[in-house]
Amino acid sequence: MTAPLLHVQDLVVRYKPRGLFAQAPPPAVNRVSLSLPEGATLGVVGESGSGKSSLLRAILRLVPAESGSITFGGADWLSLRGPELRLARQGIGVVAQNPFLSLSPRLTIAQILSEPLLARGDRPGPDMVAQTAALLSRCGLPPDFLPRRARELSGGQAQRVAIARALALGPRLLVLDEPTSALDVSVQAQILNLLMDLKADFGLSMLFVTHNLKVVAHISDLLMVMHQGEVVESGRAESVIADPAQPYSRALMGFRPRP
Amino acid sequence: MTLLEIKALSVTFPSNTGPVQAVRRVDLQIERGSIHGLIGESGCGKTMTGMALLGLAPQGARIAADVFRFDGMDLTTHAASLRGRRIALISQDPAAALNPVLTIGRQMDDVLRTHSAQPKAERRVAAVALLTATGLAGPELLLKRYPHQLSGGMQQRVVIAQALATGADFLIADEPTTALDVTVGAQVLALLRKLVAERGLTVLMITHDMDVVAAVCDRATVLYAGLSVEEGPARAILTHPRHPYAAALLAALPDAVPHGQRLAAIEGRIPSPTQPITGCAFALRCPSVMPVCHEVPPPRRGGSDHGWLCHLDGQAP
Repeated sequence: MTAPLLHVQDLVVRYKPRGLFAQAPPPAVNRVSLSLPEGATLGVVGESGSGKSSLLRAILRLVPAESGSITFGGADWLSLRGPELRLARQGIGVVAQNPFLSLSPRLTIAQILSEPLLARGDRPGPDMVAQTAALLSRCGLPPDFLPRRARELSGGQAQRVAIARALALGPRLLVLDEPTSALDVSVQAQILNLLMDLKADFGLSMLFVTHNLKVVAHISDLLMVMHQGEVVESGRAESVIADPAQPYSRALMGFRPRP
Repeated sequence: MTLLEIKALSVTFPSNTGPVQAVRRVDLQIERGSIHGLIGESGCGKTMTGMALLGLAPQGARIAADVFRFDGMDLTTHAASLRGRRIALISQDPAAALNPVLTIGRQMDDVLRTHSAQPKAERRVAAVALLTATGLAGPELLLKRYPHQLSGGMQQRVVIAQALATGADFLIADEPTTALDVTVGAQVLALLRKLVAERGLTVLMITHDMDVVAAVCDRATVLYAGLSVEEGPARAILTHPRHPYAAALLAALPDAVPHGQRLAAIEGRIPSPTQPITGCAFALRCPSVMPVCHEVPPPRRGGSDHGWLCHLDGQAP
């Protein structure tokens, strides 16, 4: 078996105590380990305070890890610094919950999509326009959206732009933080379909974080349920939903009686 | 016995580019002591319907209805005076509903003082009793707390206690669990169910979440583009939806298809509220659309228990 794309071992994330003499708070993420094979989707489910967002931030190197290790693409992810980290981060694309907050209202869609390319050092020009148009159409929007601005779009269209931007630098891992929580059910289905298509076409690996177990279970290969900073259940998505071992996971499944 | 009866409610805003129809034609009939779901996606007019019932439609809104009656009273004239006496609102965000700079005790007392001539000590007893009735532990201590010291679930229970303090018997719950965690939301729904059983309350549950409908609603109405397109027993709508939109909405849920398979997304968008609708509002997105759907408004099908608007004769795809 080949090495996993992303491997987290015994990760601990702890925030600073509030005051000088205050007790150290319990860790937000407590000895969490996970393994994401190339081309697989891992769903991380939990309620507020479960540590799922802290785990995500630590993986994105936005908060420091207290202990534990992370390897991404074979490299020791936590030891990367400065330009090395900047370059390596191109391997991860991020999609946030609310596209209207993550997309600048002042920029056109064309500018939003070319920003990561310019930041990498690509030259602006017809090639870049063609590249952004291709990205956009891959995410289900025609090129006539390029001159428009985010606020002119519906929630689903804006989230497609956010996904296109996350894919701009050809990442190996797509990190999705509640990508459908702000969307209506019918639109949520469109976005989930798009993600499944992208995964199949590009062999993308995905880390999908959400509080909605049913949504994430549907498109994930592997599932991990977090509660108060710890992993309470993990395994193949189908087996976790078919037969949750923990009462907590069962509660997260919702309360809908099967017809 | 019918507590709320609405026929052909419309809420329109005049604008330079023609009327904006937030609610086009909504019918509702809610029996006393039941929980009635009002289901729909963004822009379907479900919140605006609730606001019209509370007399809280924004300035400039034109409200019209053939019948708009609550317990025998006409809501077109009485909505504002019934609000806070018979009708109360449980909103999506309890933190926004509570005053952040006043204690829970003070906020409970404000409501009780408005509604009764009891002396202060008795009002305090009443406040404790109401907080206990909503399942809050340690109500005496809670009276001294500020909203930010409470979890979202506790805040929502306080809001429900305040609604009970007004003496209201009809609660409009607008997405009451959307901002809460799944397990906490389930507890709040169980509380509402219990209050309906014990106190004979009636609840209009505005939601987009089919799980909520399945968990607590007796009957439900599905809204689309400001129209009530299907109404009936909640279980019948969830298991055998008749209107193609209701069917499509349920089919778009991840648990409608086996693991990893493509979901049945509804393509296209809801018609804009400025756009007049000649035939069926769902015609442009409907999988079983026929030529007649674009021309003629669909007739009402079914019986008095379960009805829907469609040109098709009840055979949902």
